[in-house]
Amino acid sequence: MSIFRFIGYFCSALSLAILISCSNQTPNATTSAPAAQSSTQASSAMNHSMSGGRKININSAILSELDKLEAKLGVPALSNKIQASRPYGNVEELVAKNVVTQPQFDQIKDMVTIEDIQLEGEAKDVDYMTKLALMKGHLMVAKELLDLQKPDQAEPHIGHPVEEIYADVEDQLNERKVQAFKEPLIALQDEVKAGAKDAAKVGTGFKSSMQSVDTAIAALPETQRNSPSFVLKTINGLLDTANSEYGAAIADGKISQLIEYQDSRGFVTYANELYDGISAQMAKEYPDAHKEIETTMATLTKTWPTPTAPAAPVSTSDEVSKMVKTIEASTQKVTKAS
Amino acid sequence: MFNDKNLEKFPLNRRQALKWGLVAGVGAVGSVLGVEALNRRSSSQVIIPPVQNSLSNTAVANPLAVLRDFDYGTVKQENGRTVREFRVEAHTSPIQLNRSTTFITWNLNGRVPGPTFRATEGDRIRVIFYNRAGHSHSLHFHGVHPPDMDGIKPVRNNTVMIYEFDAEPYGVHLYHCHIAPVTRHVGKGLYGMFIIDPPTPRPPADEMIMIMAGYDTNEDQKNELYAINGLPDYYMNHPIPIQQNQLIRLYVLNLIEFDPVVTFHLHANMFKVFRTGRTLEPSEETDVITMGTAERHILEFSFRYPGKFMFHPHQDAIAEAGCMGLFEVVGNAKA
Repeated sequence: MSIFRFIGYFCSALSLAILISCSNQTPNATTSAPAAQSSTQASSAMNHSMSGGRKININSAILSELDKLEAKLGVPALSNKIQASRPYGNVEELVAKNVVTQPQFDQIKDMVTIEDIQLEGEAKDVDYMTKLALMKGHLMVAKELLDLQKPDQAEPHIGHPVEEIYADVEDQLNERKVQAFKEPLIALQDEVKAGAKDAAKVGTGFKSSMQSVDTAIAALPETQRNSPSFVLKTINGLLDTANSEYGAAIADGKISQLIEYQDSRGFVTYANELYDGISAQMAKEYPDAHKEIETTMATLTKTWPTPTAPAAPVSTSDEVSKMVKTIEASTQKVTKAS
Repeated sequence: MFNDKNLEKFPLNRRQALKWGLVAGVGAVGSVLGVEALNRRSSSQVIIPPVQNSLSNTAVANPLAVLRDFDYGTVKQENGRTVREFRVEAHTSPIQLNRSTTFITWNLNGRVPGPTFRATEGDRIRVIFYNRAGHSHSLHFHGVHPPDMDGIKPVRNNTVMIYEFDAEPYGVHLYHCHIAPVTRHVGKGLYGMFIIDPPTPRPPADEMIMIMAGYDTNEDQKNELYAINGLPDYYMNHPIPIQQNQLIRLYVLNLIEFDPVVTFHLHANMFKVFRTGRTLEPSEETDVITMGTAERHILEFSFRYPGKFMFHPHQDAIAEAGCMGLFEVVGNAKA
C-alpha cells in the first residue's frame, strides 16, 4: 500500500517537473495557453500510455458495457447517465460534465477511452447482431410495401441496408466468414428502382437478400441467439433507432416523412419477432419484466397500424420515446440480473 | 442543450490582429483586455451596419444569424499545436420554408446550414460528431486528410465519431453528410462551410457566407424551393445592410443537389474571384460566375452607390423559387 502511495507521489512529482520544464521551454509564445491546459495534456498522455485490459468507449458503448463502470463504482443508473451526457471529447469530460466525481474517475480512468476500440466478446456480438437486425427491419417493411404494389416506396428501404449499414458490418462479416451479400442487395435495389416489373425476379432477389442476412445472423452461436439477455440488448438497439426515426417523421402533428415512419415500423416489427422468440423463457424467468415489456410493446406497436402512414399519428413522438424508455428500463433489469 | 453558441465568435482572429499590430503589447496583459481592444479597433476598420434580425435565436433556419457567424471552435494547445475543437450533434427538426410548406430537416446543432468552421492553415481540427438523428450519418470534409478521416463510413444513431486532421490547404471548403442517397442527406440540411485562412491573413473586410441550396419538398428528386443560407427569399424580404465603399468578402458555396449548375450574379457591380479561395490574388473580375454543385469561391467587391442591389443565380427559375436576395448599401456620412 505504502509502496503504491510512494509511486503515486513520485509520478505526480515527476509530471510536475515535466510540466515546469515544459512551461519554461515555451515562454509565453501564446498567452492563451495557461498551465492548466498543459496539465490535462500531460495527464491524457499518461492515460494513453496506460494500456492493458480492454477499454470501454464511453462515446459508443451499449448500456450493458457501461454497466461494468456502474458496477465498479456502485453508482445506480450510472450507465444511463454516461449515455445521456455524450459526446465526450476526452475521458476527463466524465468529471467536467459531472457524470462522476474526480475520485470516482480515478478509479475507472484505466477502463475508459474515447478511441475507436476493437469490440470483443458479447459487446462485439451485440453490435454485429444489432446492425443485422436493423437491416432486417428495413427489408421487412420493404417486403410489406412490395406486397402492396408500392415499389417506389419500398425502394429506399432496400437501399438503406447497403447505404447506411453494410460498410459498418463488412469487416465483421469477413471475420466471421460470412459470404458478402452487398451485390445481391444492390441488384434487388436496381430491379425495384426500375419499377419491379418482373415480379418473379424481385421475389427471388428479395428472398436471397433476406436469407443472406439470416445466414449472417446464424453465424452467432445459437445459445446466444436464444439468450434473453442478448436478444433484449438487440431489441434496445432497434427500438432506440425506431424512436429517433419516428420523431423524424412527424411535423405539425402529421406524419410528413413516410420513409422515416416506415423505417421505424420495420424496426419495431422485427423487435416483436425477436421478442416472440424469448417470450416463453422471459415469462418463466422474469415474469415482472416480461409483463411490462409485453404490454408496452403491444401499445407501442399500435403506433404503426399500416405500412403506409395513418392520416393522424396514433402516438406522438414523446409517447413513443416514453414507451421505448420503459421497455429499456425493464430490459436493463434482466440484463443486469444475468 | 448546445454550448456551441457560446464559443468564441471574434470578427477577426488573433493572428490577423497581431499582423495589424492591434494587440501589440497587450498579449501579456491578458486576453480579455486584448479582445476588447481588438473589437474597438477592428470596428473602426471594417464597418458593419447594424442588423435587425426578425427571427428568434433558436430558429433552425436563420439566414441573418448564419451570415456573419464564424465558429473558431474551442482553442486548445496540445503538444505545441493549436487544436480547434468543434462539437456538433445531428438532429431532426422541422422548419417553415414558406406559409404552406413545413419541411423536416436533418441538421447540425439545430441549424441549417451547419456551423461555419474556421481555422488557420496548419491548425489541428477536431470535430466531435454525435449522431442523434435516427438514420446513419457522417461528416465528409473537403480538403486534404487521411482516408480514415474521410467521413464516408456511416456513424450510427446515438454514436459518436471524432474526426481529427490538419487544416489544409487554405481556401473555402465545405463539409456534408456522405451517406447515400447523398442528395437526400445534403438536401435535408447536413452541410456547412469550412474556411481555412491562409497563414498570411487576407486584408480586413466585412466577411459573410452564402450557401445556395435546394429543397426537394415532395421527394420527387427535383427541388421545389431554393434558399440562400437556409430559407427561401429571406434576404429579399430582409436585405443585408452593408456599408458604401466597404470591402465585402463573400464566401459563396453552391450546394444545390439535382440541378447541376448555377451562375451566381451580383447586380450593378463587378466582383473579384478567388477560385476555391486558393489564391491571395484574384484570377478574374466579372459579375457572373458559374458553379457546379460543391464549387465554392471567394468573391470581393464594394459598392460605390447607396441603395438596394440584388444577387441571385442567373438560372432565373431557380432564383425565383427562393434563391435571391438584396444588399442594402448604406451611404457613408458626408465628411
